[in-house]
Amino acid sequence: MILISLVILTPLLAAAAILCLKKQAYKLAIAAVSMSLLASLGLLFGSGAELILPGLPNMPLRLIATPTTSLLSTMVAVVSTFVLIYAVGYMAQDKEKNRFFATLLLFISAMQTLVLAGDWILLLSAWELIGLSSYLLIGFWYQKPGVKAAATRAFIVTRSADVGLYIAVFILIANAGSSEISVTLSIGGGPAIAAGLLLLIAAMGKSAQVPFHDWLQRAMAGPTPVSALLHSATLVAAGAILLIRTAPMLPPETLTVVGIVGGVTAIITGLIALGETDLKRLLAASTSSQYGLMLLAIGAGVPMAALLHLIAHAAIKSSLFLGAGVFQHSRDSTKLKDLSGIARERPGIFIGFAIAALALAGIPPLSGFFSKDAIIAATMASANAWLFVPLVLLATVLTGAYMARALRLLWKGQGQQKTLRGLSWMGAAIAGLVTLVVILGVAFSSIEASLNAPLESNFTAEIFGLSAALTGLCLGWFIPAKALLGPLREKASQGFSVAGGLDNLCVRPALAIAQACEKLERRLLEAVLAVGKISMKTGHIIRRSDDQGIDRFIFSLVRQTVQLGDRVRALQSGFIHRELAIAVIVTTGLIVITIIGLLVF
Amino acid sequence: MVSLTLFLPLLGAILLMCYRDASTENIHKIGIATSALTLLGTLWIWMRGIAEPSAMNLGFSQVEQLDWMPSIGAAYRVGVDGISLPLILLTAFLFLLTFIYSAKVRKQPKAFIVLMLVLETAAIGTFTSLDAILFYVFFEVSLVSMYFMIAGWGHEDRLRAAQMFFIYTLLGSLPLLLAILGLYLGGDTQTFDMREWIANPPLEGGAAMLALIAMLFTFAVKTPVFPFHTWLPAAHVQAPAAGSVILAGVMLKFGTYGLVRFALQMTPEAFREAGLVVLTFGVVAALYGAFAALAQTDLKRLIAYTSINHMGYIIVGVAIAAITLDPEIRAIALDGSVLQMVSHGLVTGALFFLVGMLQDRAHTREMGEFGGLLKTVPLLGWSFVLAAFASLGLPGLAHFPAEFQIFLATLREVPIAIIVILGIVITAGLYLKAISQVFLGASNEKWASMPDLDRRELLTLSPLLFFIIVLGIAPGWMLDVIHQTTIALNF
Repeated sequence: MILISLVILTPLLAAAAILCLKKQAYKLAIAAVSMSLLASLGLLFGSGAELILPGLPNMPLRLIATPTTSLLSTMVAVVSTFVLIYAVGYMAQDKEKNRFFATLLLFISAMQTLVLAGDWILLLSAWELIGLSSYLLIGFWYQKPGVKAAATRAFIVTRSADVGLYIAVFILIANAGSSEISVTLSIGGGPAIAAGLLLLIAAMGKSAQVPFHDWLQRAMAGPTPVSALLHSATLVAAGAILLIRTAPMLPPETLTVVGIVGGVTAIITGLIALGETDLKRLLAASTSSQYGLMLLAIGAGVPMAALLHLIAHAAIKSSLFLGAGVFQHSRDSTKLKDLSGIARERPGIFIGFAIAALALAGIPPLSGFFSKDAIIAATMASANAWLFVPLVLLATVLTGAYMARALRLLWKGQGQQKTLRGLSWMGAAIAGLVTLVVILGVAFSSIEASLNAPLESNFTAEIFGLSAALTGLCLGWFIPAKALLGPLREKASQGFSVAGGLDNLCVRPALAIAQACEKLERRLLEAVLAVGKISMKTGHIIRRSDDQGIDRFIFSLVRQTVQLGDRVRALQSGFIHRELAIAVIVTTGLIVITIIGLLVF
Repeated sequence: MVSLTLFLPLLGAILLMCYRDASTENIHKIGIATSALTLLGTLWIWMRGIAEPSAMNLGFSQVEQLDWMPSIGAAYRVGVDGISLPLILLTAFLFLLTFIYSAKVRKQPKAFIVLMLVLETAAIGTFTSLDAILFYVFFEVSLVSMYFMIAGWGHEDRLRAAQMFFIYTLLGSLPLLLAILGLYLGGDTQTFDMREWIANPPLEGGAAMLALIAMLFTFAVKTPVFPFHTWLPAAHVQAPAAGSVILAGVMLKFGTYGLVRFALQMTPEAFREAGLVVLTFGVVAALYGAFAALAQTDLKRLIAYTSINHMGYIIVGVAIAAITLDPEIRAIALDGSVLQMVSHGLVTGALFFLVGMLQDRAHTREMGEFGGLLKTVPLLGWSFVLAAFASLGLPGLAHFPAEFQIFLATLREVPIAIIVILGIVITAGLYLKAISQVFLGASNEKWASMPDLDRRELLTLSPLLFFIIVLGIAPGWMLDVIHQTTIALNF
């Protein structure tokens, strides 16, 4: 119980402390994430824990440490610790370090809540909060051109998909009568299919699956440590984590759809990565592609394989991004053409980058080999093997190809000499993560054992996987992307957007409806004013007839009445205008007539 | 205690009127002190709490009554239950902050403060009245005060907006008077006691439906619901910031409060029959408000339209509560609706204050004329970001628990109506658009010397922002009070 709250609260309190004290930002941040890491390790090696907090009536909030959730929590903590260490160096020159570290800590805290959530309300809350904190982080340099659009798009796209999660959660709670995740997983039939598909939509938004993939590449406008964290263990991972945790509930029909979405994404975004001209955008497209592979594993019915790939990918992708960040600082650019020859300039970093790249491609004995092998084995055992196996192999070839291409472009060319501040912090973090990339594969069997889901090793799958990876690497190293992509090149560089992408399909119609509402609004106002004018005119006429007709008659009859009348009128016009009062009465009459008319007919 | 709290602001107003040649500073001090005492009074009422609803107390606690017009059965009766108690707390809280914010008013401060104090009594009176005649009196008095506030201290086109507001809502409240007379004449005992009407609804069949239609008309104008909302943007844009805060934060709730107290509790059968129609109005209002807000370029109009969106959710919640036969779903829907009234008061209050502060500095509300203000005025900017994210329903902030419960109940009772949830995407879009136009991007040279929030403004905003977060993270303390009443409702 104490451990669970430590995992979540230490980063949050540190964020508050940084904002209040406005100094010692990085020391506080690193102390907090280390504490949080220790606590989550405690959970991992502990015997499970649960924390129940007051929430809505009859729906308490729960945090729960099961083997899966504590493993994920440890992964989040490890990656965020290294990323924070790196950020100390990377952000050394920035003036707004306090805001950066505070937001990053808020983000880590929200992600830990999401991972450890034991009920849907808390999960949904954490899900939206990581959306908010990534909006703040992507928009960190909000004065630079293009940044605000990137942040806004990331939030809107993911929130649109989040509607799926909202409705799925309502369906689950309504059918299970409880908001506890483990209880809701037992529902079946129609509600399970519907909820499963809605959860898939939410996961597609967060994990940047086709057709929601384009926000992720634009999100590169944020600082590089942010990209490293978003892409590996946190924001984007949330989608896959959601599906891994709900996999026991998903009926076969839904699983097939999940697999197809994942497979299609893996191919399309793999092609996009192959055609990219910017290193960070290439890595972003690759992230979508790798999450596609995880969805494919879930669709094949082996969420364990997806979990392993998630963990391996977390270490690999964060190493790659952190390496890219060093290159970016050296050349003040992330364009591949500006980065040529960087390998000779920063050989140490490049070696780390290359190891991670080979791991992602699936070369033994690096961790990516084992997790990718598990996915291939899973698809071969699936009922949809005829569809899934070619998809996963093609995606593996593509992975090898785009990584080899990136390595080649970074390797060829001339190096420059330039000193870089904060390199020791950044180097240390990369070294730590690359070590994980190398050795994680060994830990997989014990992870499988602790989760009671052992995977059988499949020799055919290993051969298939390795040959696909090697083919991809050779293609990427020796043949230029132009030739590889052929006629697809133009499509790939435009991000394979369908019918002009989200702008044409969603944003423009929404704005058009908004304009239509505004037009209707003007008409309504005009109508109301017209009614008011008519009433006022009637008021005038009645007053005139009063003054000239009845009044004159009365005035001429009794003089006292004149004085009385004057006094009364003075009273009336002192408060509201007399015309106004008459107008009110006339309009009342109109409304009464309308209502009676409506009732009669 | 309820009566004392209720008439304290009026007492302050009378005191102020007798106090000749008061300096502007003293006038504001009296205003702030009176409203602070009133807030203490409501806190005391909150501490005394509400009793378990039973046949003895008919669901109301801390009831106080006095004979007034015994021949017709009208009396002075006030009291609270789980629906009105959160609202009077909100009212007293918002009024105190408004007085603090208004300490800058230099134009006829005495008249302004007196009007505000009268308005405060009228607002608390509307929520605590247990006698239909008394309710109607308070309901109308509030109108008059708000009319003068817009007409006297508003912006460019204030007179027309004030007249429109007045005529619209005055006409709107006439059908309620007819409905009240209907309920009075339909009952066995000749009384205006609302508790009697709630315990034994006096009307049935066609008569009840007519009374319901009349009440719905009144409350639809007040809330406001599309297409009866046209007075709202005009009034809000022209009203001074203090007026906008009270109008949106407190007075719009008269409509939804009346919808629960009168329409739902006094004509439940008729409401159940008409439930789907009301639900449709709610869904349309919520989506229409969101889309209309998306098209705005004036920041204050934008916020005014999001009020229509948020109040639409409340209409949806109340309609679901009327339709359902399951007391659990009814409680969830009403818990959400009442909490939404409080959340909307806090969040929209904060937003209108912020726009007021921005307008004090820049003398414009056009979003296109700003840019990069987050750098120039960080405190103001981040406060706006926080309030905007609260308004778009982000978890951990005030609107989320309320909207979550409304949507949950909606899905359980009328699944198709869940399309109303699209509203949260549109509001996200429009707020991010506003934030990025006004606060992000490169700084505009024109506003380089804009000062950040001063002490008075911080004092106004920080309590609001604090409670927006508290209500988002731990809504339990307020929901428990609401739930105690809503779970006991049976009809």
